[in-house]
Order: sequence, then C-alpha cells, then structure tokens
Amino acid sequence: MLPIDQTTHERVTAALSGRAAERARAGWVAFRELEMPSERLEQWRYVHPGIDLGAFGLPDRAGRPHPAVLGGPWSASAVNVDGRTVAAQDGDGVEVAALATQSDQGPTVAIADRFEAMHEAFSSDGVLVTVPRGAAVADPVLIDLQAVTPDSASAPRIRIVAAASSQVAVVVHERSPDGMPALVVPRFEIEVDNGARVHLIVIQQWGDETAAVARHHYVAGRDATVGLAEAGLGGRFSRLHLSVDLIGDGSSADIVGAYFGDHSQTLDYRYFLRHAARGTTSEMFLKGAVAGQSRSVFSGLIRIEREGQKTSAHQTNRNLVLSDGADAHSVPNLEILADDVRCGHGSAVGPLDEEQRYYLMSRGLDRMRADRLQVKGFFEEALVRFPVLRFEPVLRAALMAKYAGVTA
Amino acid sequence: MSAALRVAGLDVRLGELHIIRNLDLEVPFGELHVMMGPNGSGKSTLCHALMGRPGYLVSGVAEVGGVDVLGLEVDRRAAAGLFEVFQYPVEIPGVTLRDLIAEMAEAGGEAIGHRAVEVAARLDTSSFWDRPVNVGLSGGEKKRSEMTQLLALAPRMAILDELDSGLDVDAVREVAEAVQHMRGPDLGVLVITHYTRVLRYLEVDRVHVMLDGRIVQSGDRSLADRLDTEGYDGLRTSLGMSHPEGDSFLTGL
Repeated sequence: MLPIDQTTHERVTAALSGRAAERARAGWVAFRELEMPSERLEQWRYVHPGIDLGAFGLPDRAGRPHPAVLGGPWSASAVNVDGRTVAAQDGDGVEVAALATQSDQGPTVAIADRFEAMHEAFSSDGVLVTVPRGAAVADPVLIDLQAVTPDSASAPRIRIVAAASSQVAVVVHERSPDGMPALVVPRFEIEVDNGARVHLIVIQQWGDETAAVARHHYVAGRDATVGLAEAGLGGRFSRLHLSVDLIGDGSSADIVGAYFGDHSQTLDYRYFLRHAARGTTSEMFLKGAVAGQSRSVFSGLIRIEREGQKTSAHQTNRNLVLSDGADAHSVPNLEILADDVRCGHGSAVGPLDEEQRYYLMSRGLDRMRADRLQVKGFFEEALVRFPVLRFEPVLRAALMAKYAGVTA
Repeated sequence: MSAALRVAGLDVRLGELHIIRNLDLEVPFGELHVMMGPNGSGKSTLCHALMGRPGYLVSGVAEVGGVDVLGLEVDRRAAAGLFEVFQYPVEIPGVTLRDLIAEMAEAGGEAIGHRAVEVAARLDTSSFWDRPVNVGLSGGEKKRSEMTQLLALAPRMAILDELDSGLDVDAVREVAEAVQHMRGPDLGVLVITHYTRVLRYLEVDRVHVMLDGRIVQSGDRSLADRLDTEGYDGLRTSLGMSHPEGDSFLTGL
C-alpha cells in the first residue's frame, strides 16, 4: 500500500505525459494547499464525511474483481478495480479502452476542493468510451467499477466522448464488499457533441464502509442531450457532485435519481445545471428515502445565463423520512439572468402520507403492506424515468429490499 | 340474526367539535338504506368514524355482521366486511389499480383477484387499470375504480359516501346501476347523499335524515320525496328544530 503523499503521486503519475501530466501536477499542488472540506463551505453544508486520508493508501496492484452481477446484453464493457482498468472490450462501433493507454485524458479542470485535487493528483487510469460520429449503439455499455482491497484509496476516471449525432447509454455499476473500509474518488467526464445523446446510469452499491466522493462534469453541444440516472443505495458516505454545462443551442439535460439511506449512511447530492445557450431544457427529478440514523442532502441549482433565452428548466426533489433519527435536506435554487424562460422547482421532505395509509388500509391491507405499497409507489415515479427499462425491476427490488430491512 | 350494520349510541368528536351525538342505525342484510342530510350534518364523519380514520374520538357500538369494529385497526374493519366508497378517493401516486388489487389479493386471498378481473370486464376499467390509483381520473372513473375494489373485496356492509358527487347524469345512472346490481342477501348497503337524484335508479328500503349529527327522521322512500319539496329547512321547521345560527344570521340580513 502506498501512502497518500508526494512520492506516491509522482510514482503513480510517472507514465503520464503532455496535458495529462500537467493535470496531475496541478492536482498535486492544489491537494497540498487545500484543506479538507468542512461544513463551513456552502458546498459541504449538512454533511460530515469523516474521512481520514491517513487511514487509506493506494494499492500496488488491482485486487481480484468480483464477477459481474448485472445481466446483459452489453454492446461493450470494462472492468475497473481499485482504480485500474483490468478489462476492456469494444463492440457495436463503440470503443472502450483503459484510460492509461490513451492520449485523450481530458482537458485540465478547475479544482474546487481537496477531493477533486486528490483525484487529479492520484488518478492514473480509468475508462475511455468513444462513440464515433453517427453511431447508434443499441445495447448499453457496462463499466463495472469495483473497490476490493481493504483500506484502499482509488481515483478512477470515466470519460465518455460522443461524436456528433451518436447515441449511447453507459451503465456504471459501483460496488465494494460490505465491512471493508475503502475510499473512492472517481471523476466522470462526458462530452456530447452536436446532436448526440448520452445517458449515464449509475447504480451505486458501494459497501457499507466505503466512502465515495464522486465528481461528474458534462458538457452538451448544439441539440445534444446528456442524462444521468442514479440509484443511490450503498456507501457509508456517498457524494455526487454534478455540474452540467448546456453550451449548445437546443441542448438538454435529463437528470433522475432514486436513493435510499439506512443505518448511518449519508447520501449527498450537489447538482448544478448551467443553461448557457438558447432554447435549452433541463429536467431534474429525484426521489429519496431516509431511515435509521441516515441523512440525505439534495442541493440543486439551475443557473440560466443571459444567453439562455427560451430555456425551460424544472427540478423536483421529494424525500420520505421514515424514522425519527433520519433527516433529509432539500435545497432547490434558481439563478436566472435571462428574461424569457420557464422554470419551476418543487421540494418536499416528510413522513409517509396518513391519508394514503388510511385509504390503503380501508382496502384490507395491514399497516405494513399499506406503507410498503406507498413506498413502492413513491419510487415508481422516479424508476419509470430511468432510461434503460430493463434495470427497473432490479432497482425496484434493491430499493424495496432496503425498505424491508428497515421495517424488519 | 345479526344485521349487516348495527350502530348504537354512537358519539363522535373531533377535537372540540362534537359531531355525532348518540346515533342509532341498523341496516339488515339484503337492504339498501339511504342517509340524507345537508352539508355539515355529519354524514361523512359517520363514514370515517365507522371505517376508523385516525383523529376521531369515537364511543358507542358499531357492529358489522355482529363484529364490533370500534377499536379495531382500519384493515381489521375491512376484514370484518366493512367497505367505504370514498367521496374523495385518495390518490396513490406510482401504484396502479392492478398493483393495488394484487396487494389486496395477497393480503385477503386469491378470490379477490379473480373477482376483480370479472368486475373489471363488466365495469370497463380498461382506461385506468394500469394508471396510478385515482391520479388524474375523472369523477366517473374514480367511482368505477372504487366499485371495482368494493366488488373484489365482496364486503358484508358497503357505505357509499356521496355516491353521486362529481358525476354527470349518465355517470350517476351508471354507478347507481352498479350498486343495484351488487345487491344480495349477504350485503347491507348504506348510500349517503345530499340530493335525491341518485335515488331514481335505486330500490330503497329505508331513508334516514341526518341533521346536526343525529338521525332526526327515518321512513320509506316517500321521506326522500318530501325532502325534495320541503327541503331540509322545511323538515327542521316541521320537527320543531331550531335553525343553525348561520342561517338565522343570513335571514336577518
């Protein structure tokens, strides 16, 4: 195990050259200078990640991957373990490769906090998905993202580059064993060229002692669509900080989420959508439940720049609080600089609905059945918006299994 | 033999409000009774107090087929054979009628599912069978959904709260015919209504009039006809009852 320090930074990034090397160096400088984020920063309000970097190290080599559990068919796939891509398979016109072997490692990024810096300084591999111009990839691409080594820190980078008029869906399955401490600091970059469509589906099933601090950044060109559908199930602390730049006229973002916290989990979502072009649209729809002593945060910001005339943007976040010890924070925000836009937001935090319970019980369902049905219905509205329909039963089962665990 | 519904000395309070006072009512098996009364007379409260909606303080006796249901959980009252058709059926987002029927069958037995399928064909539920329960449904669709659930559960005592509210003339006839069709020797029916129009399509055994939380008069069908001409105020006067304060205030204007 290599400690998180300068020697390790230099060692793991030694093979990088050109812009990738610059990126890593800039990351190290920022990592050295920045403090660990605290609740005093608006971006980290309501959460206490409790991550001690001294407790983790970078593994010398990738551990043994667990076999895939999500059923195909897949057009192409990759397996990344402990930050290293150990398998990659092209198919159906889409190229999937280990990022370490590629020249395109993405543009230099603006670093906002120490975890982003850590990713830049210690990331040496990941997965590059390249979709050629006009390609319509029928089945989704699977990226199996695993942490398997105890006390490991890893920083995989997933880059999806979709050329003009192409279409692809990418499924990322994030997982690690329960009871195994691990820190994962991934970065997802999606570039969607004119008229292309990319949907990312993240099934977050990190183990119960894994802390994950994920950064997502997407850019959509003219008439392009980018989508994220995330199912937040696992992790001790799991953060997803998303920023989407709609920079092409007529571009759109389709963001959906379903999350369920139990025990002492923290699920932390910071979603920023920037409308910087004319006629852009965005839809954000997230539903979450918290039980036990768990906590969720949804902080959503829609910013419409002066150039964002004729924009339509909506965000909805609804939360069920299933126990006294759990809490959910929902903070929707709008910043509108243009004057010809349609925007809306809705936010709710509350317990199960008494009227629904009474009605369902009057139909002969006992309280447990009535509540379970209500919870199922609550998530259904999010699940039907997930782009790859065949995961719907899997995700429904996973969410309801968490609910069953709460009520047992 | 026990009645489908026997209510004796029922008292219902909601916070400071004393809504129902010492109410007695008996609906024998096989009969259809109508409960009439103006807004605020306590008709809907009676439904919810019997079904067990939380929040009410209820005392007295209420038996369904001889089983005292007061004090039971709502689902146990349903299991005893009580069914309420809601005036305002609650929206259950994300749960289709198909899902709900499946859950009802799992909880109460396969026969529920089989009956639901039969009924669904007869009541034309196709437009909302796979839609979330009561979400975005028309008034007529909501009543058909309620009737489907009722017939699937095959209750012993059905209470239909404001059966005709929110329905156009055709829908009123349709739902009344469905009620007429479900009648049988093992079922008691109580139709609660504000107006007499729905009674045109029903064979009524007995009519009760509720005013200020009490049944003030019971009789045969002619009582409803009398109400049609006299109104509730006329009945109040002939019974020597005082008029509510609001009314005398308005009269004084």
